[in-house]
Amino acid sequence: MYGLENISAHNGWAISLVGMTIVFTGLTLLSLTIAQLHKILDLWENKDKYINNRNHKTLTSTPADVAPKPGMPAENLETIRQYKMIVDRLEQPFSLPKLLDIAVKIGLERPHSTINTLLVKKIIVSDGKGYFIWKLQF
Amino acid sequence: MGQLFLEFFSNTGFALADYRHFIMILIGIIFIYLGIAKHYEPLLLVPIGFGILVGNIPVFKGLGLGIYEDSSVLHYLYMGVTSGVYPPLIFLGIGALTDFSTMLARPMLMLLGAAAQMGIFLTFLGALALGFAPNEAAAIGIIGGADGPTAIFLTAKLAPHLIGPIAVAAYSYMALVPVIQPPIMKLLTSRKERLIRMEEPREVSKREKIIFPIMGFLLCCFVAPAALPLLGMLFFGNLLKECVVAERLAQAARTSVIDTVTILLGLTVGASTQADVFLTPQSVGIFILGATAFGVATASGVIFAKIMNLFLKTKINPLLGAAGVSAVPDSARVVQMVGQAEDPNNFLLMHAMAPNISGVIGSAIGAGILWSFVG
Repeated sequence: MYGLENISAHNGWAISLVGMTIVFTGLTLLSLTIAQLHKILDLWENKDKYINNRNHKTLTSTPADVAPKPGMPAENLETIRQYKMIVDRLEQPFSLPKLLDIAVKIGLERPHSTINTLLVKKIIVSDGKGYFIWKLQF
Repeated sequence: MGQLFLEFFSNTGFALADYRHFIMILIGIIFIYLGIAKHYEPLLLVPIGFGILVGNIPVFKGLGLGIYEDSSVLHYLYMGVTSGVYPPLIFLGIGALTDFSTMLARPMLMLLGAAAQMGIFLTFLGALALGFAPNEAAAIGIIGGADGPTAIFLTAKLAPHLIGPIAVAAYSYMALVPVIQPPIMKLLTSRKERLIRMEEPREVSKREKIIFPIMGFLLCCFVAPAALPLLGMLFFGNLLKECVVAERLAQAARTSVIDTVTILLGLTVGASTQADVFLTPQSVGIFILGATAFGVATASGVIFAKIMNLFLKTKINPLLGAAGVSAVPDSARVVQMVGQAEDPNNFLLMHAMAPNISGVIGSAIGAGILWSFVG
């Protein structure tokens, strides 16, 4: 037997279709699991921080203007305070590289990413002359 | 005395040889030439090429010299192939050699490895259409996975009589990745697409790298338990590498174990291509289907990458799809080469390793599926 007849006789279409589906399912499942793995590990490694943060939030009232915004890290309130303290030491308007430099020197976590988020959330805004202004008030 | 000389001459290779032996010897020499002069997979082509020479010295049947004679040394070494022992040991070494970081950093690229496995199943259909039995068609189809050990493993289980041509076809095409893939990649992509640069992958923690082989093994083998011998060893080898505390074992797996097995596998697979067994119309069919399988696998990966780009905000370079075939790391190198031909500052190798490694996992799962369906 040859051709389509032989394929149908040996259930070739079904085997191929099911086989492809299983390979795709297996690798998609693995891919989805891997995609979540680092987040789960991050959560596990920082569990104390998260728990403290949650307790802290329930104990203190959060001013409306510094309430967590979507896309910010969970510990954003503390992070914003830390950056505000640095900015207070600089004169307004301030230079972004200087802010970054100080953040790196004092060992704040993920300074590039955090400053970028502050810019995106318009907590820090450009004065149009190459310098930046802190907009958010506590 | 003359009679004695004639008797001796009638037992020599010159008297026993026919034109098929010389064809095979020529093929063996071409393999060795490609390995040494062209650097096409020399670690595979040199042992296989020399094995072809060994297997095609015409010998007197019954002396226990040929690979298919029960009492021969070659036959004992060949048992590692026919019993399916060598491929898992090679997977152990591959696992201990491979860094899964890029795949862990960009798991989405794993889908390209899955897409490239379409070559396996389309070739399975093609082989059925050409009149091969289902077990033979499955063994031929796995050439599309571009994974020599997997092809040998599945053929040993499903169609042991085809090991010679399938192994030689699989390894030949793996060695010819730099020749076969670039035209297909260029044909299916525009220059603009080939110029796409990939984002830097995130840093992967050691803990992730240690957890992945355990998690990956459990997940894949629960989905396709028949892939256990191959994937079990692949992930075990990787765990040895990543856990650090078993560095001696990892070192052994990625050096002495894989090297020894590669020598034995290459030599015996080469020697199994005895002219009378190998030079058949069936082998020609297998070679044609193998080439088709390889081409389809490459094209599937590239096309799937282009389809993914329709939905992605940050586009991926579709050349990466070609690395979905599991010829590690050759197809990833080809992606880098084709990408750099357009833009010398575009470094795709690291990114191409993700689909490349997932292709290895995908082809092992594919082999497991075919084994369970037609075995």
